[in-house]
Amino acid sequence: MSEAVFAQLSTFGASVMLLFGFVLLWRRSPRAHITAFREQSVVLAVLFALVGYATADRELYIVAAALWGLKVVVMPWYLLRLERDVGTDRESRPYLNVAASILIAGALVLFAYAATRPVLAVSQLPTRDGIPLAMGLIFLGLLVVVSRKQALSQIVGFLMLENGAALLALLGTFGIPLVVELGVFLDVLLGLLVMQVFVYHIRTTFESIDVEQLNQLKH
Amino acid sequence: MLILQPALALALAPGLVGLIRWLKARLQSRRGPPPWQPYAELRKLFGKEVVVAHSASWLFRAAPYLVFASAVVVTAILPLVLAPGALDGIGDLLVVVYLLLLGTFVLALAGLDPGTAFGGMGASREMTVAALAEPTVALAIFGLAIGAGSTNLGQIVLQTLRTPILAASPSHLLAFAALFIVMLAEAGRLPVDNPGTHLELTMIHEAMILEYSGRYLALIEWAAWLKLLIFFTLLANLFLPWGIATTFAPGALALACLALVAKLAVLGVILAILETRIAKLRLFRVPELLAVSFVLGLLAVTASFARV
Repeated sequence: MSEAVFAQLSTFGASVMLLFGFVLLWRRSPRAHITAFREQSVVLAVLFALVGYATADRELYIVAAALWGLKVVVMPWYLLRLERDVGTDRESRPYLNVAASILIAGALVLFAYAATRPVLAVSQLPTRDGIPLAMGLIFLGLLVVVSRKQALSQIVGFLMLENGAALLALLGTFGIPLVVELGVFLDVLLGLLVMQVFVYHIRTTFESIDVEQLNQLKH
Repeated sequence: MLILQPALALALAPGLVGLIRWLKARLQSRRGPPPWQPYAELRKLFGKEVVVAHSASWLFRAAPYLVFASAVVVTAILPLVLAPGALDGIGDLLVVVYLLLLGTFVLALAGLDPGTAFGGMGASREMTVAALAEPTVALAIFGLAIGAGSTNLGQIVLQTLRTPILAASPSHLLAFAALFIVMLAEAGRLPVDNPGTHLELTMIHEAMILEYSGRYLALIEWAAWLKLLIFFTLLANLFLPWGIATTFAPGALALACLALVAKLAVLGVILAILETRIAKLRLFRVPELLAVSFVLGLLAVTASFARV
């Protein structure tokens, strides 16, 4: 495919991923968060396959398949099961209200554009237009982790941060070596399992997964 | 040309709303009124007598004409069927935004004028929504204007015609999303405002026009339908301008009319399906939705700066 079409498609995919990130800040219910994460991972897997096709790199197809299996099938299923068991409360009083967090997210994406200007000036890759969007997605994930009280939302925010980092690696360097990528997937999966155990413990101790309750442990 | 575009818009607007209502009825397993019902409504209202409250002032009588006139002028400026329009010297994005806001402002004042409770409530709600939505209209189209190098709407259309690949760029997509959400807010559609509601406490636009009757109501309803057509045209012709005429040739103009009708019908179908699927948002949630659209517009501007 021509370079211009490849550049447009990859940037389009990165924009769609960022929009799903905004859904995470806008919707309150954990189920909507999990669905947004799953759709975002679908787009990410398609992007991996696209870059693999455009650069004739077979390894990226394997990474796309592993990404699909892990982040589209296994993790959302796991998260939905977790949500069914413990995620009964919606985000009633987050540290930031929805409108404020969306505006801050917009400011963060602007900041991402400013922060990646040196990279854009130097990079020659056709996918470089999407790099600020990937950076913005990472910041959005951090914002979700920092500003939400429900542990489940924080977990999904962290996973979205992972997605943003994977997207940045894809757009910035056409992916990282296969072994490293698989190692990262294993890390994320183990992280999810550990976090899940913690969520169950919090729920057993406090009858809710509001992480502000953990402050009670201080006294 | 000054006459063709407004006449075309005035003729199409009731049909568009009729189509959307008919589709919504069918999707809800009702038969619904036929698509030409709004035309019959207009004819009926123009024949009816006007009843004006005692407490109403000159503003109440003047407002329908002002609102209608502002909407008609916008349709003359907009790239409806011709890209560099006849009024191209003033066919600017900011003029369009200003005229739309002028109509909203006058209507809000007219809602306050008779001194009824529902009118005041509708007016305050409308101003809240407009205050949050208007900057996004300007911002979303501004994202396109940066790429085109001019805020003239005709120039923006020509730029997209010249470089078709631009239509898939992130700034265009983000601007489309932002403008779509703002269209829902400004034209008074679900999830912001239910146009078919009869419960006054849920009304925004209808609450302001509760006191109107006869030809005044006809003009205001027509202007509201025109506003929907205007936003649909912005969505269709700024982002997918193929089919629009760039010369005065009658063949090109006829093709442009057909293309416009087709695009409006597609957007009408999408809106009907969307309105059937979602529920009206509670009023305190509307600023959240409009914040999302504002940030999308902001990102559209940023993306077009980054590209240029």
